[in-house]
Amino acid sequence: MKKKFLLLLLTASAFAYTSKAQDTVKTTQDAPLVLYGSVDTYYKDDFSGHNNIPTSFAADNNSVSIGMVDLGLKKTVGNASFVGEVSFGPRSDESIPSAGEHIQNLYISYNLTPKLSATAGYMSTFIGYEVISPLGNFNYSTSYLFTNGPFQNAGFKLTYTFSPDVSLMAGIFNDEWNAYSSSHDVSNFGAQLTITPVKNWTAYLNVITGPTAGTEFDLTTAYQITSAFKLGLNAATYSTTHYSAGFSGIAIYPQIAVSKVVTLGLREEYFKTDNGTAASTYAAAGPLPGGSVIASTLSANIKTGPLTFIPEIRLDEVNKLAYSTFTNSTYDATTGSFEPTKSATQFVLAVVYGF
Amino acid sequence: MKKILIAFICIVFAHNAFAQKDLLSFNEQNKYIYYQVVEQPGLITDTLQDRALYFLKTAYPKNKIEKAQTSGNYTGTGKFLILSGALVKHVDGEINYTFYIECKDQKYRYWLTDFVFTPYKVDRYGNSIPQAGIDVPLENSASKMDKTELDKCLDQAGTFSKQFGDQLKVFMIKASALPKTEKKKVINTKDW
Repeated sequence: MKKKFLLLLLTASAFAYTSKAQDTVKTTQDAPLVLYGSVDTYYKDDFSGHNNIPTSFAADNNSVSIGMVDLGLKKTVGNASFVGEVSFGPRSDESIPSAGEHIQNLYISYNLTPKLSATAGYMSTFIGYEVISPLGNFNYSTSYLFTNGPFQNAGFKLTYTFSPDVSLMAGIFNDEWNAYSSSHDVSNFGAQLTITPVKNWTAYLNVITGPTAGTEFDLTTAYQITSAFKLGLNAATYSTTHYSAGFSGIAIYPQIAVSKVVTLGLREEYFKTDNGTAASTYAAAGPLPGGSVIASTLSANIKTGPLTFIPEIRLDEVNKLAYSTFTNSTYDATTGSFEPTKSATQFVLAVVYGF
Repeated sequence: MKKILIAFICIVFAHNAFAQKDLLSFNEQNKYIYYQVVEQPGLITDTLQDRALYFLKTAYPKNKIEKAQTSGNYTGTGKFLILSGALVKHVDGEINYTFYIECKDQKYRYWLTDFVFTPYKVDRYGNSIPQAGIDVPLENSASKMDKTELDKCLDQAGTFSKQFGDQLKVFMIKASALPKTEKKKVINTKDW
């Protein structure tokens, strides 16, 4: 009896598996249960012998270290869809509210009409060019603009598509960035205007503002000019609600495919921190308040199947020594610390497996 | 018990083993094409044209349909996803294609060609979206795709084309596939 039941179950499974849907015109929205994710590991060598550059992730020096394992599931049935994405590892711990928590994305969407959709939950931020997943970035190290901007926003948003070239998102979000729940209220307002001026060029004009977290204006754009050449740009300015502290910066991302396997890309970033008033306690990751830094990062993406090797060299230079947090390899016994320096250089070799 | 398990595994593997790419050929422009001529005795051109149009609007409502230069024939474009994985899928990309359907008395022909692959990437929200500016015609893919990827695309293009043709055949054969005009039941109250 048990065998017969098992045989019936297996046969049913096999038929379900091998049978094909009759409506074969499928779009992303109609896709079956979809799994996506990545795994990454890296080796970093800061030329000073210790970690210097304060941007996100890849913090371990002279060590073969792990990034994270990232797993996402998504499903759409009719007008309703969900995304659930969890991650584990040091990169995950640095990117979510508290180390040990694991939700990167957890939200539910509903298409109210073909042009209007509503989404609620905990979502990757709409601000900025770079993302948490190493699959979504060309460079393995991250920019100052990314590190100092929001990573995720929990809230409710509506997106209206005026045409294939123009859409507008507006929503209310929890008072603090990168938090599963609000501290007091849902007082951040966020909006994103998406424009596609010409084919393969998309620009996003973003704002998030609220009495607790401050205000950030952001422009993110990418233009695939030819099949081999892409140019990206990110510019943003942020100010805290009080005390006039904050940052501003701009980064460009030219990338050129030199073969079907190898693409070279540069990230050239200028990032400046504001002084603020004397009462300000805000401190951006980067140069000390009032200083600026130019960060040049040259990366290669070498792809073979789902694997991407990313060798990368990065040079950061602060405008004045007084604003620098970098130190060199010379140890000063009198102060008990390494000597300050204006610049820092690091080499990274990362491997990312995406699926 | 062992035999049952082995049979199950065989079925699952057999699913992946069918080489559907062999269904595609090359046309005069050296492009991949799925081409079929089907005899349909007893049906005139107009009927076949009506059924072909109803097929396109019903089975592939998202396709763009245009009337071909010759009256009553149809052409247009559509797309389908390239998926990998067994029970849980991963969206690798999409293939855009052009289709043609031509009808004559007692026969029709159709073909799918211009297969162009666009890889997908996962955006920050977990959505699979096309990578802008990367469109790879399958016949010119040697410099942009490896053989495994190309084989997967050709297999799924072959499978999709066959399904397109199988469905068209069903619509062409069955009169019941045509839109039903529901007759209103009208009662004349004047004559009694």
